[in-house]
Amino acid sequence: MVAIDTIATALLSKAGGRSIRRSTLDCVAWCVGACLAPAAPALLAAGLAVLGNGPVEAASNKVRIANLVDVSFGTIANLGADAVQSQSVCVYADTNTNGYNITGIGTGPGGSFQLSSGAASMSFNVLWNSSAGQTSGTQLTPNVPLTGQVSAATQQTCSNGPASSASLVVVVRSAALSSAAAGSYNGSLTLLVGAE
Amino acid sequence: MDNARYLRLSALCVAAILANGAADAATSGSLGATSTGSVSIGASVPNRVQISGLSNVDFTNQDPAVAAVSAQNVCVWSNTSTKGYNVTASGSGTASAFTLANGAATVPYSVEWAQTSGQSAGTSLGVGTALTGQKSTATNALCASGPSSTASLIVRMSTASLQSMPALTVYTGTLTLVVAPE
Repeated sequence: MVAIDTIATALLSKAGGRSIRRSTLDCVAWCVGACLAPAAPALLAAGLAVLGNGPVEAASNKVRIANLVDVSFGTIANLGADAVQSQSVCVYADTNTNGYNITGIGTGPGGSFQLSSGAASMSFNVLWNSSAGQTSGTQLTPNVPLTGQVSAATQQTCSNGPASSASLVVVVRSAALSSAAAGSYNGSLTLLVGAE
Repeated sequence: MDNARYLRLSALCVAAILANGAADAATSGSLGATSTGSVSIGASVPNRVQISGLSNVDFTNQDPAVAAVSAQNVCVWSNTSTKGYNVTASGSGTASAFTLANGAATVPYSVEWAQTSGQSAGTSLGVGTALTGQKSTATNALCASGPSSTASLIVRMSTASLQSMPALTVYTGTLTLVVAPE
């Protein structure tokens, strides 16, 4: 039973952060060598049964958002149409469901999504999509988590597996553009990812 | 590698690193129970103006003994820091003259502009000459919110012009208004 306990509790961590169990083959070989008693076959069978029924991986409940790029609209010539900038980003979620939530916080009053140019301000919208390569998504409310997102990332910076796992879309609506004073507007957006 | 060349290369490398850093301030999060990233957002809005809410002008069955006046409220929006603009008018007559025509016959009219709405008189516009220093109070490009109009366009026909027109004869023309930011 000692061998079985060892197999059941041996854990290693990958550099990427996701936890895995030690190679079952190594553990089985150790077990065979150590347990060449008449009862060994039964012991081994019991050990394999534990391995087969138990979880193969354990989640660390850790998340990471990476590969963000600054958003530059440049000079928006047409104020009568929405200005849209989208980018694919990496969100990694090492949870049982690969689930996460995301919260957007702007630099306007109360975390609102606003750009400023001196005393002038211009609002923008933030959309989130849990798939990469999208130009639309679910609109975020400042300071309110968007729950139920699932990541396809298999590595915390998407250096292998999918190169990105979500889309960040920033939109300046025509209504905001056509009410804004001329000028250069700046602001920032903070994205907080939590495990689910 | 001599010292001067080494220093030049070093300076170039430092400059390149600084340039890259300045161009991209986005930050990635770290692995943890939560992870926070950020991006900067920049946008530039150029100077723009828009004129809207114009209506056609009809002088119908005018008494030739009474000068005809048509005033209308229009929306002029300017997004400059001063909300300033200028307005230039041109007609459809010879050399953009403010004239109405019926075949070869023409009759002049005059145009005035006021930078507030609800006016029945304003500053006279010359053909092709910008009236500068105008200010708008519009807060929306089409005056869909805020003030519903911001300026007045006044078109006049003198009694002399009316009396030169044969009865039951239709004269037509087009007035073009160009607004530019200031």
